[in-house]
Amino acid sequence: MTWSDETDRFLGSWKDGIGCYVYPTKRFKTVTIYAAWIRDLSPSDRALGALLPAVLKRGTQRWPNRVLMEQQLEGLYGASFRADVGKLGDKQLLSFHVSVVNGQFLPGRPDTVGQALDFLTEVLERPHLVGGSFPQDIVEQEKTLVKRQISALINDKGQYAFSRLIELVAEGQRFGLKKLGTAEEVDRVTAPGLVDFLGQVRDESPFVFVVVGDVDPHAIQNHVANRWSGAKKPLTTIEPYHGKHHNQTVVEAQDVRQGKLNLAYRTGLTGKDADYPALVMYSGVLGAFSHSKLFINVREKASLAYYAYSRIDPALALMIIGAGIEFQDYEAARGIIEEQVDAMRQGHISDEEMSFTLKGYINDILSEEDNPGQIIGRQLEHLLIGGGLSGPALIEALKAVSTDDVVRVAQQVELDTVYFLTAEGDGQHGA
Amino acid sequence: MGRNQTTWEQLGELPVRETLDSGLEVVVLPKSGLKKTYATYATHYGSIDSHFIRPDTGEQVDVPDGIAHFLEHKMYEKPEGRDVFERFAELGAYTNAYTEYTSTTFLFSATSEIPDCLDTLMRLVEEPHFTPENVEKEKGIIEQEIRMYLDMPGDRVRSNLMHALYQKNPVRLDIAGSVESIRTITPENLYVCYNTFYHPSNMVMFVAGDVEPGRIIDHVATVEKARHLAPSGRIGRIFPVEPAEVQKKRVEQIMPVAAPLWLMGYKDLTVGLTGADLLRHDIIRGMMWSLILGPASKLYNDLYQSGLISERFYAHYTSAATYGLSMLGGETPDPEKLEAVLLERLPQEPFKPEDLERLKKKEIGEFVSLFENLEDLAYAFNAFHFRGIDLALIPELLHRITVDDLEQARREHLKESARAVSVVLPPREGGAAHAATSH
Repeated sequence: MTWSDETDRFLGSWKDGIGCYVYPTKRFKTVTIYAAWIRDLSPSDRALGALLPAVLKRGTQRWPNRVLMEQQLEGLYGASFRADVGKLGDKQLLSFHVSVVNGQFLPGRPDTVGQALDFLTEVLERPHLVGGSFPQDIVEQEKTLVKRQISALINDKGQYAFSRLIELVAEGQRFGLKKLGTAEEVDRVTAPGLVDFLGQVRDESPFVFVVVGDVDPHAIQNHVANRWSGAKKPLTTIEPYHGKHHNQTVVEAQDVRQGKLNLAYRTGLTGKDADYPALVMYSGVLGAFSHSKLFINVREKASLAYYAYSRIDPALALMIIGAGIEFQDYEAARGIIEEQVDAMRQGHISDEEMSFTLKGYINDILSEEDNPGQIIGRQLEHLLIGGGLSGPALIEALKAVSTDDVVRVAQQVELDTVYFLTAEGDGQHGA
Repeated sequence: MGRNQTTWEQLGELPVRETLDSGLEVVVLPKSGLKKTYATYATHYGSIDSHFIRPDTGEQVDVPDGIAHFLEHKMYEKPEGRDVFERFAELGAYTNAYTEYTSTTFLFSATSEIPDCLDTLMRLVEEPHFTPENVEKEKGIIEQEIRMYLDMPGDRVRSNLMHALYQKNPVRLDIAGSVESIRTITPENLYVCYNTFYHPSNMVMFVAGDVEPGRIIDHVATVEKARHLAPSGRIGRIFPVEPAEVQKKRVEQIMPVAAPLWLMGYKDLTVGLTGADLLRHDIIRGMMWSLILGPASKLYNDLYQSGLISERFYAHYTSAATYGLSMLGGETPDPEKLEAVLLERLPQEPFKPEDLERLKKKEIGEFVSLFENLEDLAYAFNAFHFRGIDLALIPELLHRITVDDLEQARREHLKESARAVSVVLPPREGGAAHAATSH
């Protein structure tokens, strides 16, 4: 199970709108397979995109209902299977994910990987149709569930505040669109409409297939080449944010016990830019770790929050700062946060902060290699940004970043929008 | 003393264990090829241990609710004013800690400088530093943490269910305590808890990664030797006798949620098992739920198709030495109907041998993949360790479970008097927007 520089990396490429990438390695006991159709998020068909994976996981020609599909997975030594819709920047990903224990670690050495590939292929290629259409009752059941998921977005307050902030920043641009669509859009979806949409997706949407585990890359590439082909639309990358709000502040009230303060900053840099490693170091010193300025000053020194972080979006050229605070501490917490961002601009950065941050990132980057899901996520991100560094190359680039580089980047980071979710009634604050 | 490899060879896993002179047990699992080394240092002390007998004085002590979690936070502060987060940051390591009902765990994850990380982990756990000032300051941070949970509907529905199921056992209380209870915590009672429960003979260290076990154990042993500690006496843990009946049949809370969250619990009346008996008991109850209500069951799919549950619906069993319970639930548009269907069908769903055999395959697969994720593995290892269970027994025990075992578990466990329901409901239209609990 040792590491090998010969094999432990992605092999593969895009061809005619299909990307097949295999990461052969003996480090894992499981094999993880990920497939996705990649679409531009659009109000006209995002609800169809949200429903298609949901309907495809309800039955295939060989296993026409959920019980039979689940039993097949259970018999495959508890293979896990997910079909759902994801979002990265302004892209909607119709995603399918199977993970299975490699047969060499099981009694009788069954070919679990081959069966998992067949299962996923069956789901994508041979859906259970009745009279050429998805069964009406199944479509209606999944519509109800997606609508429920849409209204459940208010349940997680941290996530809710974050997505409200992104909506406010985007102000109509595609990356502000929700991946599930609206209840009205879902209502308009019909069973025949979904079949047409499936045809359209198969014909034109770029398709990516990624495998991590102890597999033969040629066998996987042949499997993909034999089943999926055709000239689809070329893959386009995510459009970064260029808008210009100036300190837009929005305060909203709900029945909550803790206020959620979120701030969005324009960074002007995406993952493929030469200065991106300097931005990574910037965010690390500011708020990615427990030694970072935000955690130390907002939580440890002022005891104003349980959490306070910054994170950068490598696709949208945005940085988000978030904190959970008492309602009446809004001014104080915002003040301390903006002071830290200012301190970065003015170069108040110690050698210790730089070295802790570098070591923290090295740990994160190397640890990523132990997690198949993260390895796949990173590859997907690179494809959709159109470049970017990872692994040892990213570590080298971070090592080369100087404090001056960080300050230079800090000076181009600008506050765009602030969103504060507070309590109704007495706890409420004007802005 | 003496190092020996357990019977894990069939799994391709060769942990090395040793009990040091201080009573600390160290277990190291070499995982070649992984970049990360993951280490936990855990104490058999959690939120429910609030009433106990000190081994040093024989005195009975009652401490405020939430103190185990408070203590976990406070361990990060050291006399030099530089906390342990900083020291781990200097080493490029990630650290965290978590408190549960019966244990508290400190951890690091690192890709280099492992001996220094181990030293820091030991200092973190072995050097308490509580002052009136630093204890006061922590109250603000923990209060924010508690308030964050108060806004989480999933957390509330579970917390309310525990309050309803249990009359006496402190498992009924939130792990972090309440805003009121933590205000009464002092450096003195923190030291009493520390000295009682953070003794090496009440703790275990687990290290997994691309490491040489002998070296790790020697390193830890050298540090431990300098503490000149001998195994402590037995800690008397005092738990009230839990009545068979629940505190309340039903609890409701209004919160700003989109749809009702419904959770039903069965308190287990069989408690006090340890070791292989407890493991078998757990496995049987877990498999019982998988067969009745797992994703591959008929009942689950009938409920899904009728729109009563979503894919996030779950049913599982959890236990420790002094309590055990099953929880099942999720989001539903119609809590009453869901409950009625379940009450009618739970006692009747057939257990079929072919379903049991397939489920065993799934359990074996999950057991094998457990060894791939060091976080999950350490978590499972510690949880089992404090209950006197060897993980490696799982495949053999699984193999011997029969349909009759499941039938018997269902008869014993699904008792109406031990059942309670917790619901979080959205505000009625035009009604009061503010939350109110009924307990």
